[in-house]
Amino acid sequence: MNPQKFWNPYLAGVALGLVLLAAFLVTGSGVGASGAANRMAAAAVNAVAPAHADATPQIAKLKHGGRSILDDRLVFMVLGVVLGGAVAAYTAGRMGRKVIKGPRLKSNHTRLVLALTGGVIMGVAARLSLGCTSGQALSGGTLLSVGSWVFMFAVFGGGYGMAYFVRREWI
Amino acid sequence: MSNLPFLPFTSLSGDSRELGLVLAVLLGFAFGFVLERAGFGRGDKLAAQFYLRDLTVFKVMFSGIVTAMLGVMLASGVGLVDLKLLSEGAVSTTYLWSMIIGGLLLGAGFIISGYCPGTSAVSAASGNLDGLFTFLGVIGGSLLYAEAFPVVGKLYGLGDKGQLFLYDLFRVPPAVMAMAVTLMAMAMFLGGEKVERMMARRRGDDTPIQAHARRPRRLAFSILGATALVALGTLALPGAPRAATAATVGLIDQPELARRILDQPWTLRILDVRAAASCEKKRIPGAECTPLATLGQLGLPYSPGVRDLVLVPTRSLQVPPSVRGYRGRVVVLKDGFDGWKTYALTRPEAPGPTASAEQIEAYKFRAALHSAMTGRKPPPPVAAGGVKYAPRPKKKGGGCG
Repeated sequence: MNPQKFWNPYLAGVALGLVLLAAFLVTGSGVGASGAANRMAAAAVNAVAPAHADATPQIAKLKHGGRSILDDRLVFMVLGVVLGGAVAAYTAGRMGRKVIKGPRLKSNHTRLVLALTGGVIMGVAARLSLGCTSGQALSGGTLLSVGSWVFMFAVFGGGYGMAYFVRREWI
Repeated sequence: MSNLPFLPFTSLSGDSRELGLVLAVLLGFAFGFVLERAGFGRGDKLAAQFYLRDLTVFKVMFSGIVTAMLGVMLASGVGLVDLKLLSEGAVSTTYLWSMIIGGLLLGAGFIISGYCPGTSAVSAASGNLDGLFTFLGVIGGSLLYAEAFPVVGKLYGLGDKGQLFLYDLFRVPPAVMAMAVTLMAMAMFLGGEKVERMMARRRGDDTPIQAHARRPRRLAFSILGATALVALGTLALPGAPRAATAATVGLIDQPELARRILDQPWTLRILDVRAAASCEKKRIPGAECTPLATLGQLGLPYSPGVRDLVLVPTRSLQVPPSVRGYRGRVVVLKDGFDGWKTYALTRPEAPGPTASAEQIEAYKFRAALHSAMTGRKPPPPVAAGGVKYAPRPKKKGGGCG
């Protein structure tokens, strides 16, 4: 079966906007992803070394009200993102174990190391800027927050600035 | 209070909290579904954005933002939601420099990994190992940040502007700003398509664009343009939330004002309307000395009205007509500056041994406030009780909190 074509970007954008709008109107806040990763990291530390978790302010502050660190809106939202992504990929014929990379990069191993490295950089960055492309750029941008717009243009700036150095990975 | 969201998540508890979590899963499902169908589950498609070959990321992101923004403006224009309350609750503080540094880093991480944190989850969900590794990396990065906070934390919180909105910056009503953003986005879409065609030609791909390929774009543009116009039109509605009436004028008591000065000073504009001489001698931190007669010169009806206006009279005040046109909330400090002097600038009496937990808590807050406002040494701690004063949690994360 040939995979389905992707949606037209503008119409996909309108659909994305309607999801975002629903989030704002129904729950009073937007969408997010990196906050969930942050909580997963904290929960892992807390499970392995609870004393160390309490001594690390950035982790300890996520423990409040006696609830689990993972008992949070964004963790559930990312769970939904994974489910939605899986259903969309499966029904479009795109589900399958693979490694995505540009035509010139031969080694899967290199690609996975780069993926992990980029992820680590983004993990740090998202905490500095109080959110990632979902929570800060999309959600804050919708409500016209100055910080969100500055962040968004900085993301594009950082991407274009770095693109030349990793071109062998992609083109 | 105006209409808040139906299920404001921050205040949910018990059964409705569970319902809220179910809603979060559903919203996440829709979010993930749309991202996958837009092509955001594939790193090569996302990365093509940064080599100007395929500007899908840019088109999807901006048309998404514009759609949601116009929806919010429309909803607030017809009085379905209160834009100010929604924004206060959902938008993070603007840390200008931290966000520039964080944005540049995140952009670099984006092109190295091929994903942003949200799309890496979608990619992992469609079976891509590189997406999974990126998401694991984001978890690792969060851990690194927490552990290395004494060092990387130096970059956090730089350029604190409070909650700041584009319409404040340009001093226009939010709906006008939304219209401008919509037009800018459309111009950038058309420019972006030119760039795509140019880059394709440079690669030797000269396929002309089929006329029917433009149809979805025309459809999307018409929807957005029409919504923007309607949102703009709501400005002309009678009784739209722009005109402050007597109903929005209220009293604020001293503890509430003190808390807000300490926690969220950027949500307030404090106008001291006493005689200039007494205001210049002593005033509430952050207050402007604006005697009653000068209020008309401030142009209050033309300011965006995002901050609450706090009027500080000597003792009491009939709200003058010059502030009635203010679009935001107007409150008068209860008992005026005299009341503030008694509450914040006088050393509080220590509670007796029989005092209740609330009394002790109130005392601790007042004692701390007194020493903060006067610079005098705080009194020794109370022996009895042991109830710690916990400041209200500050709302920070824009969703990725």
